[in-house]
Amino acid sequence: MNNTVAALADIVQNKEIAPNIYHMKIKALDIAKKAVPGQFLHIRCGKTLSPLLRRPISIADTDEKTGCVEIIYRVVGEGTRLLSQTLTGHKLDVIGPLGNGFPLPEKDAHCIIVAGGIGTAPIIYLAKKIASEPKNKNSVTTVLGFTTKSEVFGEGYLKFPGVETIIATDDGSYGYKGFPTDILERLLQEHMGKTDPIIYSCGPKPMLIKVKEIAASKNIRAYLSLEEHMACGVGACLGCSVKSSRKGYKKVCKDGPVFEAGEVELC
Amino acid sequence: MKHDVDLSVNIAGINMKNPVMVASGTFGFGREYSDFYDINKLGALVTKGLTFMPKNGNPPPRVHETPAGMLNSVGLENPGVQGFIEEEWPHLSELAIPVIANIDGDTVEDYHKTAKKLSSLEGLAALEVNISCPNVEKGGLAFGQEPESAFEVIKAVREATRLPIIAKLSPNVTHIQKIAEAAVSAGADAISLINTLLGMAIDIDTQQPIFSRKFAGLSGPAVKPVALRMVWEVCEAVDVPVIGMGGITTWQDAVEFILAGASAVAIGTANFVNPTAPLEIIEGIKAYLDMKGRNLQDLIGAARG
Ligand SMILES: Cc1cc2nc3c(=O)[nH]c(=O)nc-3n(C[C@H](O)[C@H](O)[C@H](O)COP(=O)(O)OP(=O)(O)OC[C@H]3O[C@@H](n4cnc5c(N)ncnc54)[C@H](O)[C@@H]3O)c2cc1C
Ligand SMILES: Cc1cc2nc3c(=O)[nH]c(=O)nc-3n(C[C@H](O)[C@H](O)[C@H](O)COP(=O)(O)O)c2cc1C
Ligand code: FES
Repeated sequence: MNNTVAALADIVQNKEIAPNIYHMKIKALDIAKKAVPGQFLHIRCGKTLSPLLRRPISIADTDEKTGCVEIIYRVVGEGTRLLSQTLTGHKLDVIGPLGNGFPLPEKDAHCIIVAGGIGTAPIIYLAKKIASEPKNKNSVTTVLGFTTKSEVFGEGYLKFPGVETIIATDDGSYGYKGFPTDILERLLQEHMGKTDPIIYSCGPKPMLIKVKEIAASKNIRAYLSLEEHMACGVGACLGCSVKSSRKGYKKVCKDGPVFEAGEVELC
Repeated sequence: MKHDVDLSVNIAGINMKNPVMVASGTFGFGREYSDFYDINKLGALVTKGLTFMPKNGNPPPRVHETPAGMLNSVGLENPGVQGFIEEEWPHLSELAIPVIANIDGDTVEDYHKTAKKLSSLEGLAALEVNISCPNVEKGGLAFGQEPESAFEVIKAVREATRLPIIAKLSPNVTHIQKIAEAAVSAGADAISLINTLLGMAIDIDTQQPIFSRKFAGLSGPAVKPVALRMVWEVCEAVDVPVIGMGGITTWQDAVEFILAGASAVAIGTANFVNPTAPLEIIEGIKAYLDMKGRNLQDLIGAARG
């Protein structure tokens, strides 16, 4: 069976949920059925030759019953600007699900999920997935960091049993003042002596570097979702490399985007 | 009555059921796009560039988008010829279509050794000798810039193998015809072109070049007119079959290259944009020939008068 699907999916929603942040839902049953948290879609944002390449966007949720796949994206350039202007009822040219997702905990695990800014998108899917198996008795704490109050989003999507959410803003205008990694350190302190937690993280590189450092110093397992500029998105062009901790490079699109922190060099 | 279009073409002994191949470095070793379609429908498959020893490639970033195109600085990351034979050849050899190995080297000796080693593979259809890679320190492009060095490399490969040799030329030269002639006189059975055009991009925030090697290779629709002109020129200069590539994105683009004299075409960057582009191009050429009531052979070079 094919693992990756190319689809012209119906857009069923595309709305602004915070300044320049959009939440889109498309109907793509085959993708919804196969996807796991941490995987992404490779999206053709326009119809002309510029921008030429597809844009990678994480899957923020799926619904196998309705066949919906959701993404949350920030408008940063031409591709995402065109995406924000596509209308409900139109088609979206997507391929996916791509890449390796977050390895899920087995049972009785304490998961601390640290996200920065738009990195919140895949984290919603991950938290929901872990919490959707209550018999496994995993607990989830998500820590979301934003620069300021007006940028905050995602809190509403994470309101389900078994998930606790903590928000931090760099300027303290909402939730805790500081970086999400400050909160991570505090949570680990409080958690001392109990079973080792698992850390998951997605967000800007400086944040991931800090998460990796903290996890290494306390010898805790951590999974990081990385970003790199992509062309093919499927492992064919070798364009999206990240330095491996051992030898050579790994492909973010195919070997990742989720890596165990010790596998890769973040420089 | 519907006319039964003949799309087949024979290039230097490589029998292809249609003239559409995939370009080196844009199709890995054939695994990735198998998810989207049966790759046995292609005319032929060309592997990522192989060197004698494994190569790690260049540090990131390696790709950067430009208007209707992209720059790449992959730097020939590959498992080396032995790694290729162990890890990739077993599945490639099961394909029903011709598989062409693209080879590169730092020295003439490297090309010779790589060609020799690959010649032992039963079923390999041909070698495409890349004398045009802009993304490595030594070798590559340098060999393709002078007729003398192009001659030397192709001759060394000729001495190492009985497989058909396709010489892959760089567009970053003043007199492409001279290079093509030198490659043919050294024993090349076919010519393919173009490899990427040398370009660059600068990050205006950091005020530094985007790529660590500063220059990178431009490909995609933006290069098509240049590629077409060079294919035209080379077809004029040599009698061997020519494989045209550079920016081919639609079947109409492919037909232009064939009309200019190319016996086959290769699809590169378009794979990244539309994974089923090669299939759509095959279908498009077929429908076009059907409409014209012609076969592929009638089309090759038809614009030359
Ligand atoms: C695996 C993966 C998952 C992603 N998930 C999401 C997501 O869920 N939501 C979201 O909003 N964004 C996500 N991104 C980032 C997103 O791909 C880029 O923001 C997008 O490609 C920018 O395209 P553009 O044309 O709008 O901007 P461009 O004009 O291409 O670039 C604008 C800015 O964005 C940066 N940029 C461009 N492409 C990338 C890229 N691939 N990765 C990082 N930065 C880039 C450029 O350096 C530039 O600073 C993800 C990236 C990856 C690799
Ligand atoms: C990411 C990438 C990697 C490439 N790697 C190789 C290579 O290893 N060997 C080679 O001969 N050409 C390589 N090429 C060049 C292509 O095979 C082709 O000649 C060129 O891209 C022009 O065609 P296009 O515009 O259709 O992509 C590469 C091109 C790209 C975009
Ligand atoms: S984007 Fe092509 S290999 Fe990852």
